[in-house]
Amino acid sequence: MNDPEVVVQTDGLTLAYGSKTVLAHLNLSIRSGEFWFCLGPNGVGKTTLMQSMLGNVEPRQGQLWLHPQLVSRSRLGFVPQRCDLNPALPTTVREFVLLGDVGLRLSRRERRDRLAWALDSVGLGHAVQQSYWALSGGQRQRALVARALIRQPHLLLLDEPTNNLDLPTSDALLQLLVDLNQRDGLTLLFIAHDVAMAARYATHALLLHDGRGVAGRVDEILTPNHLSRVYGVHMTIDRNLSGAVTVQVAAREDAS
Amino acid sequence: MIDNFLDSWDLFQFMYLSGWLLAFLLSLSGVLVVARDQIFIGVAVSQSSTLGIALGLRLITWLRLSSVAGFHPDAFLSFMAVVFAVLAALLTARGQTIGHESHEALTGWVFLCAASVAILLVAHSPHGLEEVQRLLSSSLIGATVIDVGLFGGLSAITILVVVSCRRQVLLFALDPSMMTAVGMRGALWTLGAAAWLGLLVGVSMRVSGLLYTFGNLVLPALIAKNLCRDVTTVFWLTPCFAVGVSAVGFVLANHFDFPPAQMTVALLSLTLATTWARGRWHDRVVSEVPQA
Repeated sequence: MNDPEVVVQTDGLTLAYGSKTVLAHLNLSIRSGEFWFCLGPNGVGKTTLMQSMLGNVEPRQGQLWLHPQLVSRSRLGFVPQRCDLNPALPTTVREFVLLGDVGLRLSRRERRDRLAWALDSVGLGHAVQQSYWALSGGQRQRALVARALIRQPHLLLLDEPTNNLDLPTSDALLQLLVDLNQRDGLTLLFIAHDVAMAARYATHALLLHDGRGVAGRVDEILTPNHLSRVYGVHMTIDRNLSGAVTVQVAAREDAS
Repeated sequence: MIDNFLDSWDLFQFMYLSGWLLAFLLSLSGVLVVARDQIFIGVAVSQSSTLGIALGLRLITWLRLSSVAGFHPDAFLSFMAVVFAVLAALLTARGQTIGHESHEALTGWVFLCAASVAILLVAHSPHGLEEVQRLLSSSLIGATVIDVGLFGGLSAITILVVVSCRRQVLLFALDPSMMTAVGMRGALWTLGAAAWLGLLVGVSMRVSGLLYTFGNLVLPALIAKNLCRDVTTVFWLTPCFAVGVSAVGFVLANHFDFPPAQMTVALLSLTLATTWARGRWHDRVVSEVPQA
């Protein structure tokens, strides 16, 4: 890869489970410092694409190129939709976040510094010795982000991390990610269903539909044309001067 | 009481040492079983090991293996115990399903099948039935210096793995779904841990029986879990509890002339109940503290 700014590139990437093709001929180029949203209806391959970047799904055809530091996983962060932690187990925020640095060769001091930075970045610096189970839902999502940040990632993959959060909490989490993107130049790929959220925060978007994908700058992708093709309804996105985004969805003609 | 125990040392030293080493070994590995909520798998694997021994007893009779020169029945039965325990651990630990049945249903089937078939295999053999019942009720008497060496070696390997890969082990225990995201081979770890669990349970079953094996596999970790603030501490406290309680159990068993395995497991159960009571009391006190 000649362009040093490229973090992830796919050329005609096809992903499949057995005989079922999930995603076909996807061309995508994610560059350093971009904030990508991956949108589309359920079952179009959003999570499968992320799993292929994590090395869990092998490409059936085409190529998936990852920056060398992402191949070794040393600078790749992942925030899952939910955490599979056994709730009967005691664990502190410190122990939970430190799980993120597995596989990295760090000195005791480096580990301590990264922990403090990751927790401060998500506003949980005060909770380091607190039980993970004493945190609220929003704080737990922040702890998940901190666990991914401790790897000081080039690319942070987030699989619907706002799914079970209320509106103010998910908005706060998104604001945190925007800060990380703008302040630290962190590259983000965020899977979501919320078009308004993508329109408000993303710099780039990937729309998946029917096994195909279109990718590009957010204003080029979240157009009524593309959105109506993907969601089957006419959608318009309005943005006011304060940056607030309104998505208007026209009623289906066949609705009773 | 202590003097009585020390007086019995010459006679029972291999039993005591085997018991403590097994307590250490099983409890340390049991942290993973408890952390991954696989307690039922622990008993299913133990029961499968009993099936292996029962089948081994029948094979010795059917194939007249005793008359084969150089044949060691103990080694053969231990081999069968390990093979069946490893097979059961591999079958149950991967989380896969068969048909439409859940993973729990599969584990339940392994347990029930092993428990029933083991008895059926030896039902018409008074010696075999006695052996299986001894395994189910547990007895440490009969441990040899070879057992002490074997359990010592396995303990050393377990310590080495836990210390050198402690962060990986911690992630495997706490959140295995994250393993591939940090570059670990999750499936390989799952298979490796299952095979190791099967091996430990298999070698332990032959010497100590189901009660002591299963008791030390899960009870010390459950006790430590209720007393610690994080899983790292659970890893270090669990074997301390297991060895400490089994030491007290052996002393009491010697003094009051009770079987040591049962005494130890009863003490562990009592300790666990005490930690539950402490937890309830603690929750009540915390809930009664006026909020600022």
